[in-house]
Amino acid sequence: MPLTSAVLNELRTILDSDGLVLTPEGRMVYEADMHTFYKGAPDAVALPRTAEQVQAVVRLCRREGLPVVPRGSGTGLIGGAMAPRGGVMVSVNRMDAVLEVDLPNRCAVVQPGLINLSLTKAVGDRGYFFAPDPSSQMVSSIGGNVATNAGGPHCLKYGVTTNHVLGLEIVTGTGDLVRLGGRAPDRPGYDLTGAVVGSEGTFGLVTAITVRLLHAPEAVKTALATFASITEASEAVSEIIAAGIVPAALEMLDAVIIRAINASLGKIYPDAADAVLLIELDGPRAEVEAQAERVAAICRRRGAVSLSVAADETERALLWKGRKEAAGAVGRLTSSYLLQDAVVPRSKLPQIMRELEAIAARHRVTIANVFHAGDGNLHPLICYDDRNAEELERAKHANEDLLTACIALGGSVTGEHGVGLDKAKNLPLQYGDADLNFMFRLRRVFDPAGIMNPDKLLPSHPACGEGFRPKRPVLPAGAWI
Amino acid sequence: MTVSAASVAGALAERLGLERVVIDPSALAAATIDGRIPRWIVRPASIEHVAAVLAIAWDENLTVVPRGAGTALLLGAPPSRVDVVLDLAGLDRVLEDNPDDLTVSVEAGVTAGALAERLAGRRQWLPVDPPGWRRRTLGGMTATAAAGPLRARYGTLRDLLLGVRFVQADGVVTWGGARVVKSVTGYDIPKLMVGSLGTLGVLCELTLRLQPMPDAEQTWLATFASVAAAQAFAARVVDSPLQPTRLELLNEAALRVCQVPSAPAGVAVAIGSAHPAVREQGEQIAVIASSERARVAAVGDDVWTRYDAALTPAEGEVVLRIGSLPSRLADTVSVVERALPASERAALITGCAALGTLRVAITGADPDTARRLVEDVRGFLAEFDGSVVIESAPTAVRASLDPWGPIDAASRGLMSAIKQEFDSRGVLNPGRFVGGL
Repeated sequence: MPLTSAVLNELRTILDSDGLVLTPEGRMVYEADMHTFYKGAPDAVALPRTAEQVQAVVRLCRREGLPVVPRGSGTGLIGGAMAPRGGVMVSVNRMDAVLEVDLPNRCAVVQPGLINLSLTKAVGDRGYFFAPDPSSQMVSSIGGNVATNAGGPHCLKYGVTTNHVLGLEIVTGTGDLVRLGGRAPDRPGYDLTGAVVGSEGTFGLVTAITVRLLHAPEAVKTALATFASITEASEAVSEIIAAGIVPAALEMLDAVIIRAINASLGKIYPDAADAVLLIELDGPRAEVEAQAERVAAICRRRGAVSLSVAADETERALLWKGRKEAAGAVGRLTSSYLLQDAVVPRSKLPQIMRELEAIAARHRVTIANVFHAGDGNLHPLICYDDRNAEELERAKHANEDLLTACIALGGSVTGEHGVGLDKAKNLPLQYGDADLNFMFRLRRVFDPAGIMNPDKLLPSHPACGEGFRPKRPVLPAGAWI
Repeated sequence: MTVSAASVAGALAERLGLERVVIDPSALAAATIDGRIPRWIVRPASIEHVAAVLAIAWDENLTVVPRGAGTALLLGAPPSRVDVVLDLAGLDRVLEDNPDDLTVSVEAGVTAGALAERLAGRRQWLPVDPPGWRRRTLGGMTATAAAGPLRARYGTLRDLLLGVRFVQADGVVTWGGARVVKSVTGYDIPKLMVGSLGTLGVLCELTLRLQPMPDAEQTWLATFASVAAAQAFAARVVDSPLQPTRLELLNEAALRVCQVPSAPAGVAVAIGSAHPAVREQGEQIAVIASSERARVAAVGDDVWTRYDAALTPAEGEVVLRIGSLPSRLADTVSVVERALPASERAALITGCAALGTLRVAITGADPDTARRLVEDVRGFLAEFDGSVVIESAPTAVRASLDPWGPIDAASRGLMSAIKQEFDSRGVLNPGRFVGGL
């Protein structure tokens, strides 16, 4: 339903003269995130520069009952920053300032539109970095990272986004501007900062973020181990973790991925390998050396065919280039793919890899694997030809089987990408009615009118609706009359 | 309409068994909380028991105070009413132990000491060490967001709680989070539960991330002529690639009770790593210390045992939990010391110099002294949104001022709306939490 001229006029008053996108071509740019399967253009795109503008837009939408869809760089993978019901999209790209760097207290205050890597660039020369490093970090916004609680390869050692967010300023679905947490630790009260991170814009719009900065490690060592099978490589991963070693990153690439990367980026990894492990250790020099010896011994024991260490920063950067551009390289092999983000316990990696091979065979699809092996976060890319409807169906079935297998092993539907529109339907795999209902009610506290990013994160399910009552214990009737 | 005490006891007994419902007057008197004698003590053995108790309490408009080891009952404001004390010590089973995943699922009544014993043999640990941690239950530590020196390296339960099963005020058993180390499925309910003092639900099961224990840990103590000098040293350590497991500031009184060399201030730096890395980092610590004109010496690991024993809260003590900033620690300590009369200068002041937290413990402070101290420190911290929470104090002290401190109206509004949504009848710990929730 198009916006009324009264609403449009009000939006024009709130925003700068160039702060509103209304043309069909202009709005089309915002119709999807990187999960282009899901499309929905907003009726208007607001490009605010201040928290006050954000607040005014939300208040207007609240009054008019219009959906508000937050968007950062639009690099999400879940059908999150798109508008299935239209409404007003609030794109925070113009709010991209580093507001303050406070190195004595190892933190910074930034606006949500700031590009992830820009923050590390701003403090890198003084020996600090911002730890969350999604593969999209060159283009994704910190606001988007907060919305999805983004991870990345180095989250194995350093933790995901939420472990690095100290405070937030947020305009909730009621239109209130609230400051949560802050740079001083241990703020009393409920940890609302923790609740908002990962809420995918369904609680409100984040307008400023206080993040923790870390001191850069003294030494970094990046090694590449090749294996004759992904199962052997998985066994090596499980043993490294069980041995109590926490590498900075522990990434797995299988044969399909290796060949795709080598074909598109030049020969980065050994062509003959059926699996490679990219292992990065960092920390004090002597600790890195000691750990490197133990990791090498485990890899050899688990049948590593070769083991090499990056000699310098150039070699290291090349090893990472292959990993970070892996998903793009797969685009050369297949016209389309479904990207999974499920998690299994780390000790179950060999088992899930065997199941995955069986699933691929059963549904006659190619599954390429590139993933954060150290924390059991899989990223299988299920390849299909988008001109072939039957093949898409098989890919979807493989996808569902894989998800079910991960959950059966005690895993999770999504490790770092988020839920969005794409995985909302899968939440009942992981949560019961009472659990979903609790989440629904929490959302309603932040957004009583249900305007914030509707249809995302929670499924349409009886437990996520008004009037649903979870089961209470049955008490003995008349026991105390 | 409220039913009679006898029939509630009957209903509880029917669901839990007679032996799990305590009505003996002397036992009830012994469980007094801030002068309020509970009407029943209930000792559930399972989450189903907890659910039944809460369902009864909800239907009968009774209030419930969950209790673990009972070591943190003096945190926060005195409860406005105590009908049922829910003693969770009997929920003490380890439910699922996954050594190779470095995760464990436990019931909330398992003590941190019992878990540590179980894990020590395989060189893993849950690195959360608030004073007196061995006796405390994991559920209680989670509900109170308890933390100790190891937070410098490993963070707090906020970073280590992966999943949680709790019972809502009306008796509905609910799960949030995951059993794996990485998950963003749905809202991060575990974060909401850490530090919520059981006001949104009674924590019954926790899935925790464990950490590998370092091969070796060595502690060095650097001593200084002033707290400001100690802060400067800590700042140098933080602004370096060193990775201390603990970086703890100690004032003169704290140094004395830990039985280490006396000085106006000290910083205990612990390095946990592979043996050669511990040695090498020790050398770097010595270099930093000498350039900051400090005396530095290696001390035995038992210093942390002494530290823990000295800081375990004692009867009548006033303990404050202060959230300041690493760059303002010395100033904060000055404000604390100025606010205390000369006779109270024995205050034990310790804290994580890497993060800017402080813990102040005073014995025998009268309510007026305590109130002046808290108000002065709050006044100083307001500039950068720091906070003072009374972690433990006699009832009279906690009744004379807000143990949590002021919070802004917008945050208060959200917190109160959340509490209202999940416990509209005020069953769980009423009156004890922030803003009187």
